[in-house]
Amino acid sequence: MSRFAEPMARLIEELKKLPGIGSKTAQRLAFHILRSNDDDAEALAAAVRDVKASLRLCSVCNNITDVDPCAYCASATRNQRLVCVVEEPTNIASIEKTKHFNGVYHVLHGLISPLHGIGPEQLRIANLARRVEAGQLDEVIIATNPTVEGEATATYLSGQLRRPGLKVTRIAMGIPVGSDIEYADEITMLKAMEGRREL
Amino acid sequence: MALKESEAIVLRTYPLREADLLVTLFTRLEGKVRGVARSAKKSKRRFGGALEPLTYVRAFYEDRERQELARLDSCEVLESPLAAEVSYPRAVALSHVAELLDELLPDREPNDAVFRLVISVLAGLRGSDLWMPVTYFDLWMTRLMGYLPELSECNVCGRALNGSRAFFHALADGLMCAEDKRLASSEMSSESRKLAARMFLAPVEGFAGTPWPKAQGADLRKFLIQALQRHIEKKLVTAVMLERISS
Repeated sequence: MSRFAEPMARLIEELKKLPGIGSKTAQRLAFHILRSNDDDAEALAAAVRDVKASLRLCSVCNNITDVDPCAYCASATRNQRLVCVVEEPTNIASIEKTKHFNGVYHVLHGLISPLHGIGPEQLRIANLARRVEAGQLDEVIIATNPTVEGEATATYLSGQLRRPGLKVTRIAMGIPVGSDIEYADEITMLKAMEGRREL
Repeated sequence: MALKESEAIVLRTYPLREADLLVTLFTRLEGKVRGVARSAKKSKRRFGGALEPLTYVRAFYEDRERQELARLDSCEVLESPLAAEVSYPRAVALSHVAELLDELLPDREPNDAVFRLVISVLAGLRGSDLWMPVTYFDLWMTRLMGYLPELSECNVCGRALNGSRAFFHALADGLMCAEDKRLASSEMSSESRKLAARMFLAPVEGFAGTPWPKAQGADLRKFLIQALQRHIEKKLVTAVMLERISS
């Protein structure tokens, strides 16, 4: 028999399914929701419902959006011929923080991962290929992580997208700003040397 | 407990809690070891790119009392797969090596022969050729794990297969002669059997430099994968992906 009343036990079980939430945290959150006033609890439930009901993928770039096309793809002030390819929608925020990128995005929703049985056919690249095919782009920047999976995806994409007149580029890799060369590992240093630029 | 130091190959990592990684290493000292790399996702200082699959590292770790998982203190990169271009076929081949090691090796049992095999095959996989190192690795892993049957005689009647046709089946051990073959068997060419014999006598570098199309030794690879899958009683994810690579 459960230590908690059935609705409470159910809420704890559901919260435990969230990433990084264990039994104790789930219990704490559940009791917090129980103690909160009706409006707050209702607002939380409505927000969870809305997120599932109103959010979808942008038909142009696969970003998560409530309007299709998304704000980036519909923007008249952004360079629609410059596309930055990222792994997940959350990566867009990191690039937007720079305030120096004025192009648009394409979200793959994953990387090639042979150990998990994920090949190129599982990635969302069909709509990007269509944009390239239609000659709508001048440059595609591949901004996947500098990991084996990220590199394999970048190499595959560059092979698939290469067309006359289209520049396919890869984000630079190397020493983080503010760090010390002394502590850089060999592979980071190698990539930094390979990606050096003329001053 | 004192820190242990060993050369190792990183096989896989899994996210654990907020910023930790659960790492499977094939160490030279103790065989397959699982450990936790604390804050590996957040801080790159101690691990950098060292925890990428198939990175050859010098690992520093310690065992904790009454705990199965070691604490991975730091790793020094000795050779990284990221040093050469990671094409899709190369990524699949590297993952295949990692998957086989993870599935076949028992925990905490050192195996220097397998370790030396991996190091030489990883060097072979730095080039553009993929099928030769993969075939060599599959063949030697099957042999070193003790799963390779005799390739020169029929497994049913014991007749020598030298020069005659040989067949194999997903559900049967070894090769069979034309009379004893099962329904829906595949044939292994005498060239592939000779190739296997040559691979037992020469290091992987001895086969480098000559063009090696996918079709070469494909029947041998299929036979080996079937033998391994029969013993581990599951399908190898990367075997399917290797099969889908076009050339």
